[in-house]
Amino acid sequence: MATLLKLIPHLFAWFGIVLIMLRGFSGRRSSVMLAGMIGFVIGVTGTFILFRSYPGSVTFGVVKSVLGMSFILLWGCSVVAIYRSTDRAKVMSWGKRLIKTPSTAIIASCLAGVGAGAVCTCRLSAATTDGVAMASVLLLLAAGAVAYIALAFEKRMPEAFKVSPAGMLAIVTALLLFSASSILRLDLFSPLSMKVMKGVHDFVHQFMESILIPDHLFVRSYIWKTIGLLFSKEVGFWGGMVIWFTPAILIVLAIQFERLPAVAHIRQGAQRRRVLVDAIRARRYRALIPVFALLLLAAATYQSCFPSVEYWDPKPLPVTAGSSGEIIIPKKGEINLEDGKLHKYIFRQGVKEARFFVLMTPAGELTVDLDACAICKPDGYGQAEGSVICYYCKTLIPLETVGKPGGCNPVPIPFTENGDSVVVDGLTLINSWSATVQATARVKEGGK
Amino acid sequence: MKRLFRTLFAAGSSRAVPPLVIGFFFILYIVVAFFTDETLITLIAFTRRSLILGAILALIPLNSAFRMIRETITFLGMRGALSGKTDKGVMGMFDEVVELSVPATTPELVNRLAAAGYKTRRSDNYLAAWRGISNFPVRLLFLAGTFCLFTGILITTTSRSSFRQMVVEGEPFPTPNGNGGMVERITLEDSQGYVLRRNLTMEVATTGSGSGKRKFGLYPPSRYSGTFVYPRYLGLAGQLRFTAPDMPAGYEKLCYLNIYPPGKEENVVIPGSPYRIIFSVPEPENLSERYSSYMSDKISFRFKLLMGKDQLFTGTMTEGVEFVRDGFHLALPDVRRLVVTDFIKDDGVLFIWWAALLFAAAAVLWLPIRGIFPRREMLFRFGQGVTTACSFAEGEARKHAGVFHEMLDLVDLKRDERRGMREES
Repeated sequence: MATLLKLIPHLFAWFGIVLIMLRGFSGRRSSVMLAGMIGFVIGVTGTFILFRSYPGSVTFGVVKSVLGMSFILLWGCSVVAIYRSTDRAKVMSWGKRLIKTPSTAIIASCLAGVGAGAVCTCRLSAATTDGVAMASVLLLLAAGAVAYIALAFEKRMPEAFKVSPAGMLAIVTALLLFSASSILRLDLFSPLSMKVMKGVHDFVHQFMESILIPDHLFVRSYIWKTIGLLFSKEVGFWGGMVIWFTPAILIVLAIQFERLPAVAHIRQGAQRRRVLVDAIRARRYRALIPVFALLLLAAATYQSCFPSVEYWDPKPLPVTAGSSGEIIIPKKGEINLEDGKLHKYIFRQGVKEARFFVLMTPAGELTVDLDACAICKPDGYGQAEGSVICYYCKTLIPLETVGKPGGCNPVPIPFTENGDSVVVDGLTLINSWSATVQATARVKEGGK
Repeated sequence: MKRLFRTLFAAGSSRAVPPLVIGFFFILYIVVAFFTDETLITLIAFTRRSLILGAILALIPLNSAFRMIRETITFLGMRGALSGKTDKGVMGMFDEVVELSVPATTPELVNRLAAAGYKTRRSDNYLAAWRGISNFPVRLLFLAGTFCLFTGILITTTSRSSFRQMVVEGEPFPTPNGNGGMVERITLEDSQGYVLRRNLTMEVATTGSGSGKRKFGLYPPSRYSGTFVYPRYLGLAGQLRFTAPDMPAGYEKLCYLNIYPPGKEENVVIPGSPYRIIFSVPEPENLSERYSSYMSDKISFRFKLLMGKDQLFTGTMTEGVEFVRDGFHLALPDVRRLVVTDFIKDDGVLFIWWAALLFAAAAVLWLPIRGIFPRREMLFRFGQGVTTACSFAEGEARKHAGVFHEMLDLVDLKRDERRGMREES
């Protein structure tokens, strides 16, 4: 029951998708409804089969990629929309003709249904491990009922409420992203901000070298501090926000920039004004949908920044090294290292200290890693929903890949298993921590 | 052939080209990001190696050049139409075109247009009215800026070469093409500028081949034999003398130490021995000036002597004074200033600088023109009892359309008056 309650936001998104599709392709209600439902069934069963065939992060990766592609498509369409609305040439593009065909309506509804169904199944899979099949059947029944309600509701909506093709794409994508943002492993905003942070850092560095800007030791500190802002974590967040919201904003602007109808041939001033006022009003109605998409994207950002998921993040336990310099941690006892949970430790040697954790991966192998990665500041990791999360950049690392080096993965530490205990060399640990922390601190300070 | 040329020109000058090319590279960036953390560097390397990617990037400057030609043709066409010469091919560029089956009375139109702030020009068969300044020069500046920017990026990406060399006082000035004149002096001074806090100058003496005395500063970087001289870091060069109890013959070599700012370490390995020495300049007591020692006469060095992984001892030594302990002798008798310098062969930099200037000029001009004096035009052509009226606005379009419609009403009033007169007669 609790699982089904968690599906409410996703079913709300599905309701919105059906409603908008029905209004967007208003002459083809039955085919849109049928195609949407078929798509939803395909999405649910396809994702269910994927989960059964490839347990772990593969299915989440596939669904996340599909969502990412829909967002890129939205970007492309928004750019086309703004270019078309500011172009003086008044020709009907092949794209507009394509949108009016019945096959487009059917394919678009089906794809939207597939996306919504896939996201709902990911929610079921993330929330429960047992009875997913039964829950999926209930989900399909609920989705059918929601679609029927949407159909009835749409028939009662005022005729003046129209949806532009770009606006339709914006709201459907926004609903899918809003739906996905409540599932930690489908969230797109956090990885986007991380990539933006890295991209801006690389770009600024390359740009400064390209135009031969002198290094920081020759430049006034206030200027260097200003440049340093571009290397900060906040740039990732705000840059991510710009990329996140721009398509919907472009679509609103495209609607606002649409040319008003030519009225020069009308000789009565009052009639001319009437035509213009009607056109402006219709334009405002059409802009409502992308504005609502903006609100949904804002909600998705909020869910991404403040997820309702509670991370497993135990307080690091202090450990000491023996006379041989080795840290010995028993596998069983007060703490069971093989329970699949993150177990954090802190090792101090003089003024130096290193944080690390021990984890049993889903493959049944123990791994010892620094509580830091090779890219970000060492804010550490938490564990939730089959992954660990880097607190600095919010990147999710699937549990299957913990123990492998690279990217934002925790830095692995060599260790040995000695019967019932895990043995780590204290000096190696301290050196590895020092090297990692020094390297990441240098990067984050923006040094060239 | 002509048709093919027109099609190619239309495609090349399409407004869709820049977003398509940028979108393509953006998607490529995302794809590369799946495989490596060094995404931008990898993408640049791909573009450098691939002729196809280079050609795709070249579409943007090509498009800018085509657009400049296209917009110039359109602008001249519109100007021609307004001066009554021709309207061939430009009627489609007007926002509104309407035909009224009535000949116009120009004096009344001229008076009304003048009252609305429009300047007019007329002849027997046309009346043109306009106000404001055309956006065309700004568009040209913007397109020229885009051309320069992407040409610069293309040249930089595909042909930039960089050689890192040490410029040392008293040594010949090193260049990729061989040595230049002797480096007479390297100086670091405080700057009064808003951007740079220090001025670095490298003075190079006259060469035998006839080159005069040269001074190289920080920004804008000077050129030498076709390469930009790009100073990167400061350092010191010294003749290192080292002997150890198990190395009585000792070791002597000129070492380049990239050890500024103070605290930065440089590792010198003594070949054929287990020894290595880590040099650094100690942090000054007054942390506000970490570079003062760079111009001082006698520079102090901090060092660590290591044998394998074991640290034997640490110490501080001054230029020209030998350090002796436990049979180890260490000295840096002759220390000179050096600048780690990149010699960069890249003509794209000039294009990027030009682009910055052109964009700045375009922005400065665009704001007042678009905000205060946008161009608005009207054209009335009269012929065989028909008036063709055209309207165009770059800004304040609603207000302009109101005046245009008022003029059309005025023209149409004549038809009603004539109809009334016919009915009366």
